[in-house]
Amino acid sequence: MIRHYLRTTAVVLVAAVSVTGCNRGEKANRSGPTLALVVKTLNNAFFIEMEKGAKAAADSLGIQLVVQAPEREIDVEKQMEIVENLIERKVDVLLLVPSGSREIVPAIVKANAAKIPVVIVDTRVDAAALKSANARIATFIGSDNVDGGRIAGEFVAQKLGGKGKVAVLEGIPGHETGDSRLRGFRSAIAKYPGLTIVASQTANWERDQAFNVAQNILQSHPDIQAIFACNDVMALGAVEAIAAAGRTKDIAVVGFDAQDDARTAIRQGRMAATIAQNPHEMGSLAVISASKLLRNETIPAVQPVPIDLVK
Amino acid sequence: MTTTNGDTAAKTAILRMEGIRKEFPGVVALDGVDLDVRRGEVHVLLGENGAGKSTLMKILSGAYTKDAGRVWIDGMETDISGPRMARELGVGIIYQELTLIPELSAAENVYLGREPRRLRTVVDRSRMIADTRRILNDLGADVPPAAPTRTLSLAQRQLVEIAKALSLEPRILVMDEPTSALTTRETQSLFAAIRRLTARGVAIIYISHRLDEIFEIGDRVTVLRDGRHVSTHTVRSADRRELVRLMANRELDEGISGGTTVRGSELLRVENLTRQGALENVSFSVHAGEIVGIAGLLGAGRTELARVIFGADNADGGRIFVRGKLQNIKSPRDAVRLGIGFLTEDRKAQGLVLGRSVRDNIALPVLRRLSRLGVVRRSEEVALAESYVRDLRIRTPSTSQLALHLSGGNQQKVVLAKWLGCKADILFLDEPTRGIDVGAKQEIYALINKLAASGVGIVMISSELPEVVGLSDRVLVMRGGKIVGEFNRAEATQERLLACAVGA
Amino acid sequence: MGTLGGLVILCTGLWIATPHFVTASNLVNVVQQSTIIGVIAVGMTFVILTGGIDLSVGSIVALAGITFGTLVQANVPLPLAAAGALIAGTLCGAVNGALVTIGRLPPFIATLGMMSVARGIALMLSDGRPISGFPAGFRSLATGTVAGIPAPVIIMLALYGAAHFVLTRVRLGRYTYAIGGNEEATALSGVNVRAYKTIVYCISGFVSALTSLLLVARLNSAQPIAGISYELDAIAAVVIGGTSLLGGSGSVVGTLIGALIMSVLRNGLNLLGVSSYVQQVAIGTVIVVAVLVDMALRQRASLPTG
Repeated sequence: MIRHYLRTTAVVLVAAVSVTGCNRGEKANRSGPTLALVVKTLNNAFFIEMEKGAKAAADSLGIQLVVQAPEREIDVEKQMEIVENLIERKVDVLLLVPSGSREIVPAIVKANAAKIPVVIVDTRVDAAALKSANARIATFIGSDNVDGGRIAGEFVAQKLGGKGKVAVLEGIPGHETGDSRLRGFRSAIAKYPGLTIVASQTANWERDQAFNVAQNILQSHPDIQAIFACNDVMALGAVEAIAAAGRTKDIAVVGFDAQDDARTAIRQGRMAATIAQNPHEMGSLAVISASKLLRNETIPAVQPVPIDLVK
Repeated sequence: MTTTNGDTAAKTAILRMEGIRKEFPGVVALDGVDLDVRRGEVHVLLGENGAGKSTLMKILSGAYTKDAGRVWIDGMETDISGPRMARELGVGIIYQELTLIPELSAAENVYLGREPRRLRTVVDRSRMIADTRRILNDLGADVPPAAPTRTLSLAQRQLVEIAKALSLEPRILVMDEPTSALTTRETQSLFAAIRRLTARGVAIIYISHRLDEIFEIGDRVTVLRDGRHVSTHTVRSADRRELVRLMANRELDEGISGGTTVRGSELLRVENLTRQGALENVSFSVHAGEIVGIAGLLGAGRTELARVIFGADNADGGRIFVRGKLQNIKSPRDAVRLGIGFLTEDRKAQGLVLGRSVRDNIALPVLRRLSRLGVVRRSEEVALAESYVRDLRIRTPSTSQLALHLSGGNQQKVVLAKWLGCKADILFLDEPTRGIDVGAKQEIYALINKLAASGVGIVMISSELPEVVGLSDRVLVMRGGKIVGEFNRAEATQERLLACAVGA
Repeated sequence: MGTLGGLVILCTGLWIATPHFVTASNLVNVVQQSTIIGVIAVGMTFVILTGGIDLSVGSIVALAGITFGTLVQANVPLPLAAAGALIAGTLCGAVNGALVTIGRLPPFIATLGMMSVARGIALMLSDGRPISGFPAGFRSLATGTVAGIPAPVIIMLALYGAAHFVLTRVRLGRYTYAIGGNEEATALSGVNVRAYKTIVYCISGFVSALTSLLLVARLNSAQPIAGISYELDAIAAVVIGGTSLLGGSGSVVGTLIGALIMSVLRNGLNLLGVSSYVQQVAIGTVIVVAVLVDMALRQRASLPTG
């Protein structure tokens, strides 16, 4: 039995090495500074776009860039491990999109101790947690999710003429990104007494769950006129559920992130709008900031990246 | 016997059960059963499977609660609410099915859950082992107390089970077929241990199907039938045939005899079969219509021989000819195709799928034949099962009854039906009557004879010498993985076989 | 049967609690929402009946879906692309089966490995990105209806009918129960246990791939991260349906009820607007209670052997 396990392990190891060996990016010869970009996951078009922006900037500046991410977007622990390993490798600057806005603070403390500057991208780190741990970040680059949510809310209000019923698909409860978008959206809706949020349920960021939840909401609230989803993945699930119910014409779906699929759906008239952050810009700005840090230039503590409404 | 004529003071009843009733949905398992057991006696509980012996003992040990009736222990009326309470009252029980944990040592099994401790924390291993060794020595058992139980033989495990019950120093000890896995010598040392216990005043309730043992060790015997108390007598005043009649309520010919044999062509020939550590150059042959008995002690390589021929284990050398043709049997599937059947020693672990119906079990080896394009033809399947239930007189309400709910003898008949259904004409029977009651044994013997008469070649492995002597046309004796003797019907006596098996 | 009673009680409760539950369209939705887990659970039932487990089904859903998407993008005709996906899923199952039978790995370990490998291959093939935009003809697999009944529901019911027939009437099914009931006795009866066990894992892989087609059609997107934690939902459906994790006893009819209980519960909690925290508590509780009740009922029904 043990021999079987050993053999399997050996096979898996060989396979794993050969797979990672042909992976892009990591080169053996290391000269000059190395940056590391750690995102939430590389299964999401948003972060893949960010990776592209960062790579393009790194190539033009002639800097080494390593990109890593846990397999699942919500896996904070895995992200911590990755960061710790990168600190061990002594990268020169850490560009980080935190999976959890509080949980990641200890990792930042470790980077501080190793004198590796930390650039936070896209998702803010909880300010109070940062302060109480006495941790420092070099800069925050990102667009304001609260602001994005507000823009989405304003759009819905205008589209519905300030009157009507709205449903919301939440992300995984407790995630800073989703919570901020939700906060922004609610604050905008609250300004219009004619608008009510009649249902607000989680679909855990996933498309198939969004399909089912949207279908169920349509049952209990057939008269809704708009759905706001905290990301495009869920919005697209809702779009399919609405199409299956034959209600595409009556219900406006607004997403967030402006993924390609969402843009296509908007062009086809199946979806109303989405909020475009600019991940490409975030990635490239992060790398440029890092290069400035390496040259000891000062950079602002917050560098906003513009948000657009795509409709 | 030492205990039958002791002083009457020590002979007061330690246990009295009166009017015990237990119902299960649809079945009355016990219907007003009485039992009284005296200090220092061996009280035999006799009855066919399903007579209610096990149920009665489970009530005594707290595993079941009774529906009606009263129980006194030591003159005090008690209501045994669970196994823990039974243990505190001094009731120990040794189950037929082994309950040991294979990875733990004998000592750890014996003291499981109540290990002696040092400073209330660390298990006192050396004391545990010493205590276990003392109990095992008292039993006259040759068992290493520190070795993992899985490395022990079946008989050794049985002795550990007995040691486990004894370690609680019970006043009443229930033994459910304690000798079914033991050799003659081990049985004798067990009996010696029982005598020592009774001399100390411990009462033994002894359940067994072996009439010989009853006459050897028992003081009194209570017969149960169909959940009712039939009679209680002293063993000395009991008559063998009378007991069998009371159990079954019908006359049975307890004698065993083979049928007349017409020896046909050779069905199976084995040459120099060898398997490292189990078999060494075994050669023999079986002819149509012949019953070849294989005698030997536990561990002599008898089961291993059957397993290798059946393709369940691989041979390291040797040749197997089936109907004169050399065959390479790599798996049981090959063996079944060649018409070889194997009734295993342990019907529950290897013979039956207990959670499936009688019909499913009988049809299992022949589903290919019973199906068209993969779909099983239900009518043919039912017909097959019903014909065997009728022919073998399998007692079951219907063929859709789960195998689990049948008595041991009827389960064994189902296994036999499986192989008959395959039209196997070479049958290996490994301990075909283990753990089944007298009535059913007779039926199995009759069946074996009938099969041989119809031209099937039978290889019967058995530890019951009377059975081997009575049924076999020829007897092979194995010892240490080798065939060490061959006897024809005229030569084979129990004494000779035993002498050969032990190497005397 | 205890589980059917549970489903009835759950439905009655929801009927009283919300007017939206018992409407024709919602009931159709509930059944439709059970199709994804329901279809996977058919294969899982076979595997669990043999005493095994298949943790790789969710990842196989992703891999088969991505295989399909990649083939469609490469302009392979739809039927061939679908066949490709089904073959990919079945192959994954065959590897699981070989690891369990020839490699003698515990099913838990073998399929745990496949869970990671299949997911990884799906991500490699797709570069981590979803593949979107499928022809309407294909999408009718999810959107089409026959006599008002959605196509996925018909597919699921047909699959359950077939599985029930196989388990009760076909040799394969009988061996499945026998292997789970007593593998050694089955092998000693001359049954090729290795081959049949491998077939069972292939079935699980095949229906996982079938699920991926339904999922792609429904969402109009093949995603490399589809099907995460489906294995647990499928196992839950099987177990709620009264199939023993030890193997040897159970039925697909029970599994269907189990899958329905899960989707009715989720649907009901959505209709009632229950917060997501409470939903998780409710689902976990129902799983445990359902199995407890089922076990209690069984114990009462079976006779002692002594």
